[in-house]
Amino acid sequence: MSRFRMGLTLRIVAVLGVLGIAVFPLYWMFVTALSSDADLFAGEARLLPDFSQFGVFADALAEGEVVGWLRNSLVIAAGTTLLSIGLGIPLGYALSRFSFRGKVVMTVVLLLTQMLPEALMVVPLFALFNRFDLLDSLIGLVLANSAFVLPIVALILKGAIDAIPRELEEAGRVDGARPLTMLVRINVPLIAPSIAAAAVISFFHAWNEFVFAVTFIYAPEMQPASVGIAGFIGEVGTPVQTVMAVAFLFTLPAVAFYLFAQKYVVAGMTAGAVKG
Amino acid sequence: MTKDTHSMTVLEQTRAPRSETSPRRRRSPLGSRWTPYLFLAPAAVFILLFQGVPLAQEIYLSFTRTSLLNPTRSTWVGLENYAHIFGDDDFHRTLLTTLIYVVVCVVGSVGAGLLVALLLNRGFRGRGVVRALVTVPWAAPGIAVALIATWMLNPQYGIVNRFLDAVGLGVPGGAILDSQTYALPAILVTTIWQLFPLTSVVLLSALQAVPKDLTEAATMDGAGRWWTFRAVTWQVIKPTVGLLALLMTIWSIRRFELIWLMTKGGPVGSTETLVIDLYAQAFDSKQLGTAAAIGMVGVVISLIVIAGSRFVARGAAKEGIR
Repeated sequence: MSRFRMGLTLRIVAVLGVLGIAVFPLYWMFVTALSSDADLFAGEARLLPDFSQFGVFADALAEGEVVGWLRNSLVIAAGTTLLSIGLGIPLGYALSRFSFRGKVVMTVVLLLTQMLPEALMVVPLFALFNRFDLLDSLIGLVLANSAFVLPIVALILKGAIDAIPRELEEAGRVDGARPLTMLVRINVPLIAPSIAAAAVISFFHAWNEFVFAVTFIYAPEMQPASVGIAGFIGEVGTPVQTVMAVAFLFTLPAVAFYLFAQKYVVAGMTAGAVKG
Repeated sequence: MTKDTHSMTVLEQTRAPRSETSPRRRRSPLGSRWTPYLFLAPAAVFILLFQGVPLAQEIYLSFTRTSLLNPTRSTWVGLENYAHIFGDDDFHRTLLTTLIYVVVCVVGSVGAGLLVALLLNRGFRGRGVVRALVTVPWAAPGIAVALIATWMLNPQYGIVNRFLDAVGLGVPGGAILDSQTYALPAILVTTIWQLFPLTSVVLLSALQAVPKDLTEAATMDGAGRWWTFRAVTWQVIKPTVGLLALLMTIWSIRRFELIWLMTKGGPVGSTETLVIDLYAQAFDSKQLGTAAAIGMVGVVISLIVIAGSRFVARGAAKEGIR
């Protein structure tokens, strides 16, 4: 019994330790935002947030272009999500329900795009966008991000549609429904959780994306938050608390969105992307 | 379904949907053999335009001397870029750094993920909450991670240095990210911190597939924990571990923003991986040809890894190990 208890205590300690490691840096971002200068630069670090400093979040939003940055990030992320889901649903359906020439090639190509580094594609995309006047444009970033996230979205949705029994479509088939009708009426509602997962994944991807944004955007008013915040690193002008508050405000939507859709995201990732 | 061909022409198929009662649809409910292409065409065109064409351009660029400042004037130089980078000691160092980065990231993230998954696999109250919180780092934007890591590693005020000093392991001067010895380990720890939540969640769901009665039977027969793990658990999760290792390898080769934001590949190139080198060549040195050649090396390495993993998987399947 006592051995059992010791094992239990050890396990509780281990779980708390893992939890601490996982959450600490984000917690520390929050604590740093809510610290006075004295706390930050004096001998002892403050381990708990000082809620009397809460005004720093208001200061952060008032700081320069922060609201504009967040708005740009939102536009890019929402656009990428809509585009990649819009193109990914029919692609996933085609890969799941039809056999056609080039299907294997198509699937392999989708998997192989996962290994292309963004940094490699930056140069040719820069040239392409330069020609079509898409530099300094949020649309350009939506297109570039969608191209990178579309394969994974399509594979997740293919996996989801694979899991739907074909018999469900038989009824529709007898009634003479066309494939598009069956996709929209029968499959889409059933794979809604996977669509949610794919949507969250593409939203993350675009919200967090940095390489394309920092290379394709010059106009300050077009910068998304990732690029704006990157400007703070190694710069001394802005108070550390404000920087951390901005970073925290940028992190919050991604984490909240994730926690909200966590179950579906994990299911989608494991069902679609990992099993490929 | 490929046999589902009939007399209808493409033109007829691509037309707007006809009325609900059309008798022809009844004959070929899934449409003609062109139907799948109609579904995948938009996505295929999109991927071709924004991945295929750029990749082709990069391959071409890698055989030319092209400057970022005047990209329309490029000279065909054949394999000169490749000869140049492979003859360059700095590039050898970049390759070695990439290798270290990838291997440590894969082993670290999959290993840590497995330990956490085993820990969370036991049922306990609040497991759902713990699992959700543990996976949060995966959702945190890389940019915010780089920012907080840089602040935590600040030589004067960072909490990491204060902690290391307190336990007597302080780095002289505290400048971890400015040290050729400590910068790479610091970046590795940060990367693994960001990756292990994903691996642990995926492995956790793989562990759910381990038959409980088998592990119980093994324990009942007096098998130790380690033996039970090797004989039962490991056999079930092995394919998932392999897949994760492959995924993490490819993601690590690609990973850019964390390293770029924390050190830009410095100090003195000690954290320079292939993608950092490639970006610096293109946008700092303006050498698009060299940059493309470096990128192609990365792509070829990824391809070799993928091909190799398939080969290994097939061999394992053949021997019946699985």
